[in-house]
Amino acid sequence: MVKSTYQPSPGALQPLPPGWTEHKAPTGHTYYYHAETKESTYKRPGAPPPAAVSAAAPMNPAMSSYVQHQTVPQINLSDPAVANAFMSQYGQAQPQQHGQRGGFGAGGRGGFQPRPRPQPVDKPRSKVAIPGCEPWILVYTKYGRRFAYNPAKNASYWRIPEKLMPAILELDQARIRQKAGGDTTNQRQQNEGSADVDKAPTPAVDEQQAEAAHDYDSSEYEEVEVTDDEDAEDGQDQAGNARKRQRTEEPSADNGPAEFTEADIAAQLAAMGAGYDDDIEMGEDGGWEEGDEGLALSDEDARELFKDLLNDFNINPYSPWEKLIEEGKVFDDARYTVLTTTKARKDVWEEWSRAKIQELKERRAKEEKKDPRIPYIALLQEKATPKLYWPEFRRKYKREEAMKDNKLSDKDREKWYREHINRLKLPQTTLKADLKKLLGSVPPSALNNQTMASNLPPQVLADIRYISLDPKVRDPFVEAYIQGLGAPPEAGEAAEQEDEAAAKAREERRKREKALGERERAVAEEKRRQEKKLQYERGRLRDEELELERAMQVGKRGLQSQLVGDKEP
Amino acid sequence: MPAIRPSSKRKAPPDGFSDIEEDLLIFGNKMKDAQNTPTDNMPKHQAQWPIFQIAHQRSRYVYELYYDKEAISKKLYEWLLKNGYADAMLIAKWKKQGYEKLCCLRCIQTKETNFNSTCVCRVPRAQLKEDQDVQCVSCGCRGCASTD
Repeated sequence: MVKSTYQPSPGALQPLPPGWTEHKAPTGHTYYYHAETKESTYKRPGAPPPAAVSAAAPMNPAMSSYVQHQTVPQINLSDPAVANAFMSQYGQAQPQQHGQRGGFGAGGRGGFQPRPRPQPVDKPRSKVAIPGCEPWILVYTKYGRRFAYNPAKNASYWRIPEKLMPAILELDQARIRQKAGGDTTNQRQQNEGSADVDKAPTPAVDEQQAEAAHDYDSSEYEEVEVTDDEDAEDGQDQAGNARKRQRTEEPSADNGPAEFTEADIAAQLAAMGAGYDDDIEMGEDGGWEEGDEGLALSDEDARELFKDLLNDFNINPYSPWEKLIEEGKVFDDARYTVLTTTKARKDVWEEWSRAKIQELKERRAKEEKKDPRIPYIALLQEKATPKLYWPEFRRKYKREEAMKDNKLSDKDREKWYREHINRLKLPQTTLKADLKKLLGSVPPSALNNQTMASNLPPQVLADIRYISLDPKVRDPFVEAYIQGLGAPPEAGEAAEQEDEAAAKAREERRKREKALGERERAVAEEKRRQEKKLQYERGRLRDEELELERAMQVGKRGLQSQLVGDKEP
Repeated sequence: MPAIRPSSKRKAPPDGFSDIEEDLLIFGNKMKDAQNTPTDNMPKHQAQWPIFQIAHQRSRYVYELYYDKEAISKKLYEWLLKNGYADAMLIAKWKKQGYEKLCCLRCIQTKETNFNSTCVCRVPRAQLKEDQDVQCVSCGCRGCASTD
């Protein structure tokens, strides 16, 4: 297919007259505003009136979509004069009609349409001097189109003039070579205009040139062809412009996302098969079924493997089985298939979740419970004053987390509050003595000279006596007390035992995984052997067939020839 | 299916609620979705099937957590029943022999049927004809006999 480089665009807009500024309305329209006269208009001020109206006006609505695509109105371009005038006008002097793709179809510019639709604006983006034809330059636009421009004559052509063709071809080829050389960085801003060339390398361009030469006698410009990829690019560029997108149907056909490859379908089928589970085994390659007969993983191991799988995926033991199935995270794991039926899986899951919940329970019981009193006592220390009665205090701080905690009863809170307020009135020495008594009551394993002052044991923090003193007095006192204490007693051996148990579990798990790996390998081996056997059998069959065939070819001479033939070799 | 009380109007849940909160929330969302699905294009008797099914699933979930796995405390279980997370009447039936898989209470209500019989979903599969595909009218159950 010949890919034309002709890609229409409104080209450069004329600069605005002084005082005018360009703005975007919330609807996407561009409008112009004159700050002094307070005048605003959709029409680009200072633009010359459009010239080729008469040519473009009669527009068949049925044609419009075609025209949108084709982008060129029904003008007889075979007449060079008309074409030239049209092109120059089309190329640059079309101010209020940005990106006229679709603009003509939508009613033309005869003023039928008071508000122009927001349309993409194509702009020149980069230019390249054409070597050998000096005043001419090649301009690339934002949407990857390009046109030739002669600044001397102030003329620009979408259809590249014949005399420039060889020079531009050379330019393209040079660029392709450069690109192939890996020098892509400076090509970035040369944009998609080159994409055209990339996809249709030299031969196509040559062809195009040939066609151009062929057409030359009839007109200066050859037939207009708009390439599809240009459309696609446009579509991507103007993703926001949904209306536009709808009207040009081509891009969706081209690069629509709804393309399912075979792999996709296969994956989906596999997922569905997994969803329906049961006796339909996961792998259609049949790897597991074969393996299951010969060297079955022991039942115990299979169950353990499945439990490991559940552990690995951080399955919530409280969740229902249906949730596990619906989520389907575990289907892809090889360990899912070590148990062959869903019933077995569910059994194992039940067992696992029961054990897991039990374990969680135990761990929670063992975990030292954070005393709910501690935050409340801290709150008292911070906020309580003798100026507030308990109801006032409660009302004032009811939003505090410590006040809302349902593990403490309101009665207790009130009791501690009153006690605390009463204690605040006692003399310092009594308070200090009380605190000393409190600290003394803590066993040395919890409080010793290794204890940090910021990390006191909970029985101290949760006591009302601890907060009676002002922190400024109390903290140095506590620190001094800690300094005077002895070293901590020897640590218990419970922790070590736990470590041992964990190590044991890990070891067992490793063993199981190894077993799984071995099983997989054995299955593969078995498969290979069977395949080989199959091949061998097939070969033999073929040989026999050949022999039979030979035997069937008993000619008119009968058995004799056969016998002779046998003897000969 | 009584609505579940909003968290501001109910007592604070007992310990252990945080473990199952997420799953209950999933059930709650499913129920809301089922309630909000338009039922214009389906037979009238089918309109409530999904509601019954989700209520059954959720009750079953609570029941299993308490009776099978013993994962939640009695306090929490009772709190869940009181707040409408499970149907206590249905669970009461599940504890009886022969009703272990009962789908809904309407299906054993003999007084509401023409021949004073239970629903067809209560008939054991063995007694049905070969390949007879049943789906009961009240909750869309396909068979909830204990022997199935």
